[in-house]
Amino acid sequence: MSDDMTAAAEREEIEMLLPWYVSGRLAADDRARVESHLARDAGLRHQLALIRAEQQEAIAVNEALRTPAAGALDRLMASLPPRQPSLAERLGLSALNQKVADFFAAPTVRGVRFAAVAAALLLLVQAAVITTLVVRGDGGATYQTASGQNDDKGISALVVFAEDARLPAISRLLADLDATIVDGPKPGGVYKVRVRTSDRSDAARDALLRRFAERRDVVRSVLPAGD
Amino acid sequence: MTLRQTPLDDVGRAGSAMSPAVDDQQLVGRIAAGDQTALRALYGRHQGRVFRFVLRLVRQDAIAEELTNEVFLEVWRHAGTFQGKASASTWLLSIAHHRAVSSLRKRREESWNEETAAEIADTDDDPEVVAQKADKGALLRRAMQQLSPEHREIVDLVYYHEMSIAEVSEVVGIPENTVKTRMFYARKRLSELLKAAGVDRGWP
Repeated sequence: MSDDMTAAAEREEIEMLLPWYVSGRLAADDRARVESHLARDAGLRHQLALIRAEQQEAIAVNEALRTPAAGALDRLMASLPPRQPSLAERLGLSALNQKVADFFAAPTVRGVRFAAVAAALLLLVQAAVITTLVVRGDGGATYQTASGQNDDKGISALVVFAEDARLPAISRLLADLDATIVDGPKPGGVYKVRVRTSDRSDAARDALLRRFAERRDVVRSVLPAGD
Repeated sequence: MTLRQTPLDDVGRAGSAMSPAVDDQQLVGRIAAGDQTALRALYGRHQGRVFRFVLRLVRQDAIAEELTNEVFLEVWRHAGTFQGKASASTWLLSIAHHRAVSSLRKRREESWNEETAAEIADTDDDPEVVAQKADKGALLRRAMQQLSPEHREIVDLVYYHEMSIAEVSEVVGIPENTVKTRMFYARKRLSELLKAAGVDRGWP
């Protein structure tokens, strides 16, 4: 390419950048290039004046337009469809947990989703087996589940909430049973809840599990947990 | 130099429950969590910008209002997908662009990439035209109205919405080089329309 052609291409490029030079939206290096050409090219300076006039009139044209009519916002708000919060939102999970939940919820390759679900189920089964061993005290085990420390008050259960359960319903159930979430979510969406009670008999534990299990609208499954 | 009579972003608009310190990205995050007050605040800030942008394309108040509503409904539905890579206003205008183009194509009243308005007649004996020639600004405004929607859009995005090349590329969905050439040809078309009206700008 000859020097003349290079110079012509460069000038054309500068010409195309002029509108953004006028609006102040050019990067510093491009702005410097434009200013360098403007200093020595009267034709470009003439264009600059035309562009300033164009911008002034474009603003005038737009400013002459009205804005949305009064009441438009009310109509918008009245037409909002109910949002279906995600499972993580319903359970009030942290941002990190939300990302994990989003990952599993995101549409992806079917096989990957299947593998993720299978892995989560495997972990859930492992957790249930370990928990059961602890509850029964088989083998005189002195270890404890990873479900956290106990305060020696009340009895605990491992709960998986129903996928379509809403946070208010979960909160009400916990309040009704005088229960609080003390740990979770674990893989598979398992939460450890503790019910404040001085009766820690097997009968009380069974009654508690039944009360959770009866609430199928909120609870998908419930397992005994080591206290 | 800008001559705006009203700010594009009506942060201080009466009735807004949000502090101006809350930025757009935070508002979108709250909308994603189902916060209707945040949607009201975002609407208050950007409704004028979105409405005018759409109105310039579709040219009918009722349709522009409907499309503006649809833009904010889409924000309500999909706020969770906003990643904050572009500004919220770029995102909003991008949604508005797609809605307006779709509406224009559906209506078939105006081809997206063709001018339909008649060129300015060079009739010196028309008193109105004679008067307009005395006001080059009025002629320029009239020429802008006669650009194709595609050219009107880019002129507005650059001059009125003051968007960078990258932002226009994001809104319109075209490569940055195409943004530059489209703007160049829109400006050339303005010169042609003015020349037809008897005004030679000395360029190109």
